[in-house]
Amino acid sequence: MKTIKYIALAFLIGFTGACEKDFLEPTPESAISSIEYFSNDDEIETGVIGIYDAMQGINSTSLNDNRGIQIEYYVTEMRSDNTRTKSQEGEAAQFEQYNVSSANGLVQNYYRSFYNVIYRANLVLDKLENASEAMAPQFEGEAKFARAQAYFNLVRLYGDIPLIDRIIGPLENDVAFTRVSTTEIYELIVSDLEFAADNLGNGEFYRASRAAAQALLAKVHLTLGNYTDAQVLCESVLSSGFSLEPNFSDVFYNEGNNEVIFAIAYNPGVETDSQDFSAEWLNGVGRTVGVNYVTDEAIAAFDEFGGDRTALSIRTDPAQPTQTQVTKYLPNGEDGGADGKTFSTDATLSGNDWIVIRYADVLLMHVESILAGGQETSAAAALASFQQIRDRAGLTDPVTSISKTDLLNERRVELAFENHRLFDLLRFGVAQEVLSEFSNNNGYSFGATDLLLPIPQSEINLSKGLMNQNPGY
Amino acid sequence: MKTTKLLTAVLTLIGTIVLTSSCDFDYDLPEEGSIPDETPPSANFSAAQSDTDFLLYNFANLSSSATTYEWDFGDGNTSAEIDPSNTYPDEGTYTVNLTASDALGATSTFTMDVTVVEPEVPEAIVPVVLEGDFEDNSLPDGSGDGRDSWRNDFGGVIQITSSPVQSGDQASKYPSDGDRVAYQEGIAVTPNTDYIITYYYTLKTNNPGSVTLTVLGGGITDLSEVESKKLVDLVGMDQADADTYTKVDLSFNTGANATVAILITNEGEEARVDNISMAPVPE
Repeated sequence: MKTIKYIALAFLIGFTGACEKDFLEPTPESAISSIEYFSNDDEIETGVIGIYDAMQGINSTSLNDNRGIQIEYYVTEMRSDNTRTKSQEGEAAQFEQYNVSSANGLVQNYYRSFYNVIYRANLVLDKLENASEAMAPQFEGEAKFARAQAYFNLVRLYGDIPLIDRIIGPLENDVAFTRVSTTEIYELIVSDLEFAADNLGNGEFYRASRAAAQALLAKVHLTLGNYTDAQVLCESVLSSGFSLEPNFSDVFYNEGNNEVIFAIAYNPGVETDSQDFSAEWLNGVGRTVGVNYVTDEAIAAFDEFGGDRTALSIRTDPAQPTQTQVTKYLPNGEDGGADGKTFSTDATLSGNDWIVIRYADVLLMHVESILAGGQETSAAAALASFQQIRDRAGLTDPVTSISKTDLLNERRVELAFENHRLFDLLRFGVAQEVLSEFSNNNGYSFGATDLLLPIPQSEINLSKGLMNQNPGY
Repeated sequence: MKTTKLLTAVLTLIGTIVLTSSCDFDYDLPEEGSIPDETPPSANFSAAQSDTDFLLYNFANLSSSATTYEWDFGDGNTSAEIDPSNTYPDEGTYTVNLTASDALGATSTFTMDVTVVEPEVPEAIVPVVLEGDFEDNSLPDGSGDGRDSWRNDFGGVIQITSSPVQSGDQASKYPSDGDRVAYQEGIAVTPNTDYIITYYYTLKTNNPGSVTLTVLGGGITDLSEVESKKLVDLVGMDQADADTYTKVDLSFNTGANATVAILITNEGEEARVDNISMAPVPE
């Protein structure tokens, strides 16, 4: 009997000792787990790369995959007066016709993709305590730059949105689904970009740099009407060693050129690291029959203001001469031969980098900051920046004064199909006027509420009543 | 028995007819089986002044759950468009009313005042240089010793002289060892605008010397920042006559600065500066 007691006691002690966390949740030795990972600089850096990977998006024909920046043209350029689908079909045509459904898969995918960027940025910020003192500011700056860029896009597209500035748990529905005012979102964007500008250096363009943060912050300040702040930032970027490529074509086909301030990298032929938009913009080369085709209005703008840029930005579709294609991002630089569809490489696995910020944009932002919401400027500094852009396009007549409309037109042809036009119209306060007229001329159904996308219906459903839809949807 | 059967059949027939016709009775009680209008309209809009015609306003209809709209622009004009625009007859405050209705007849009204004002062409700020003439009691509140606005951490406080002066009773004085500095920051200007700063100086003639006035964008916290913040400067070296002031006009563009600062230093010989003023260059 006594022996049994001891045995029982021994078991009890044995169990008590074994019931530590390690026993029930052992750290796997042959695989990586999130619990122990991000413990040093090397591991955290993979987290930082992961943020850019989220922006890059997945090259896939399934909208179940986060497509990231690869589908941005749908929700920006195709909602402006620059581009449309070739055949007015399907979900994609909702954008040009201004009858976007809250169940539109692209609207949902973009939203989800950029909240994924925000999540990955928050993950890095959460693990910063494990980084070395030397590297922590670099990682924090990159994560905050990416988070700000994602929020800046989301807030301009969807309006009031949930503010998530840390890792949240699955039960924190109030954080995940409470829409906060754009003012609060912009406060986070500004403070994130100020940190990035103060802590990052220059020299990279596939990763965030000081110049990239300053340029993006300048755009934010222009959006908010803080013109002097924007001007100071632009002038800092303008003196950071970047320059205009003498040949406009080289901006897009000579990767790593000195005009690029920040770009998303893609590599050709690799499914996990390539993009499909170059193919989608052509005639039946990608999955669609052709999207992001040039509108008659954009062609007219090129005829009037484009100069040398016209021939390098658009072309007649070789297979369908009544239609006009974008040529800024031809798959791996190949023009597709006589029919526009014959490539030596796989066009659906294109490697063209996507340029997010380039020097020309900063020069025109500099003009905008000096214009400062006015109708016209003849300030020497503004004229100098404007003239550089015009000169490269072969429009060398000296400019003596720049009106708001001149600037908007110049931005339209210089930065066409780079997903700027919609945001420019909004920032210049003319989106409703311009898009109403565009819509009337084409029989579309634009209304003021189309300036914001719908919150994806899936989010509203998950929110269990916490989220309201934008008006008009 | 047969009669009974027949009677039953007839009664059944009558009953059926009665029952059938009774089916015409309206069983639908009010509210029974219907649900309330859970998404009544909510009216809302914003208004934006046109860039080109200040009397023209574009309205953005931000209503939800509505199908028809009635606009009253407050000047007698009305519209039933979704996003209308209206040209007002004149400047003034107008009460704009939007009634949004859904197909069930539920309505919602939103009202907002629109104040129509012709935007002023922004004129360049005329900067105020405090104690620019170095006179006593010349601050806006009637106090000051002529140099209160010029004190700083970059050098000793400047001296005041009563002779020679360019005008008034006093001018600023900078002894020959050059350790006194005048500095004033926070002078409000319009960015990207051409200005002229005007001042008068004189130097004694015993030793070669100079007096330098620098206009700085924003301000500085250390003299090492002068080069990077300098908008314009002039090294005054006119030593023809110690008692005759030399007039200086310096033009500069404010660039990306909403304020500027003035810094005055000297070297080698005693200097005097008087009557500093700043004005935008007339268009």
